[in-house]
Amino acid sequence: MHVERFRRSCVALISLSLVSLGLQAPAAAGIVGTADAVAAVQQQDHRGAVQDVLARADVREQMVGLGVDPAEVEARIAALTDAEVATLATRIEGAPAGGDALVVIGIVFVVLMILEFTGVIDIFKKA
Amino acid sequence: MIRRALPAAALLAGLAGCAASPPLADGLAPQAPRSIELSATPFFPQEEYQCGPAALATLLRASGVEIEPQALTPQVFIPGRLGSLQAELIGATRRHERLPYLLATTADELIEELAEGRPVLVLQNLRASRWPKWHYAVLIGYDATRNVALLRSGTEERLEMRWQRFAGTWHRGGRWAFTTLEPGVIPLHADASRYVLAVAGLEAAGKLRAAAISYDAAIARWPEQQHAWLGRGNVAYAEGDLPAAADAYLRAILLEPKDAATRNNLAQALADSHCLAESRRQAERAVALAEGTALAGAVAETQVKILAMPPSAEACQLEGRIWPD
Repeated sequence: MHVERFRRSCVALISLSLVSLGLQAPAAAGIVGTADAVAAVQQQDHRGAVQDVLARADVREQMVGLGVDPAEVEARIAALTDAEVATLATRIEGAPAGGDALVVIGIVFVVLMILEFTGVIDIFKKA
Repeated sequence: MIRRALPAAALLAGLAGCAASPPLADGLAPQAPRSIELSATPFFPQEEYQCGPAALATLLRASGVEIEPQALTPQVFIPGRLGSLQAELIGATRRHERLPYLLATTADELIEELAEGRPVLVLQNLRASRWPKWHYAVLIGYDATRNVALLRSGTEERLEMRWQRFAGTWHRGGRWAFTTLEPGVIPLHADASRYVLAVAGLEAAGKLRAAAISYDAAIARWPEQQHAWLGRGNVAYAEGDLPAAADAYLRAILLEPKDAATRNNLAQALADSHCLAESRRQAERAVALAEGTALAGAVAETQVKILAMPPSAEACQLEGRIWPD
């Protein structure tokens, strides 16, 4: 279960790192948001509505875990497109956080993930 | 064309951190001013770890939003990361009804924005790539004769940084930069699809008025931009103006008959307007067009709902239009 989720996260991380702009919009029922429409045309986005909802819940949880006021989290996430949320869901710990702080990126970890994803290594094999 | 490409190439070489980084004057486009300083740009000295709120407040103030950094902290700061993320600066900009316009990764566009009077928020990595120190600052100008970039940065109201050093920190920050636009304002050199995608972000954030004004401006400048029409239709739909929505979708379909999202949305607007027969026809078309794309699920769902709708006693409210095949 966790491994599968981790694998999907890797795929999302790598594919979404290629997408620089935010896409998709949770619009009224029956209406496809413009950002989503653009993404579909550009074939950059293969997430469905279910993954989008999961990603939002994931980011919400992570942000609260990182000390963001739960009362603020909802409005913060609502200001993001689904693609931005999906990117954050996989990168919130590693994405640049400007603040004059000392930030350490787990380079080794990232390299391992990429190698795993590209099939060079297979250390996260399912039991 | 070549005259314009050469300086750009020179700038790029500089940004890539080559040994022979050219000074600013060598890379500046011939038509660009030798120096710019947006001295009226406000300044908010940052508190510890708060360069994100400070830099964003600077941009928002410069584009007419009355805001203090303290008010932005709860909107962008992440205590566990001791900083603010790029995506959240973008999101917070939308919350204040401004369009976050991401710039291209060449210095040319930074300079074009400055020349139009807009300060630029940049992400810098002040240290090495492998041991980063992320920092947001606001570029307010440059001086080619003295070869410096001018910044509002941290606790320094007017920081002069040698151009090559600035370019290097910006390069290591991923060459990420944006400006905040008032709804309806489009940069002279704007890229149509990048601008429309920025507006789509406002739409996604539910800032419908700001999005409508921006889509209208986009349509006036690029009438052939199908996604501007689609977006305009979506905003009209969200505001409850079904005839305007249908008309905008029709324009988008004329420009791109095979766009599944537009067909889907037209079908929905038709269904809501009691035009069930035409709605079903368009929904079927949308399903066929969406096959194999990321939209397949959502479009199929729309069709299921439309097929389940009982015949309406009311007459179709969108008569007199010619529906596309």
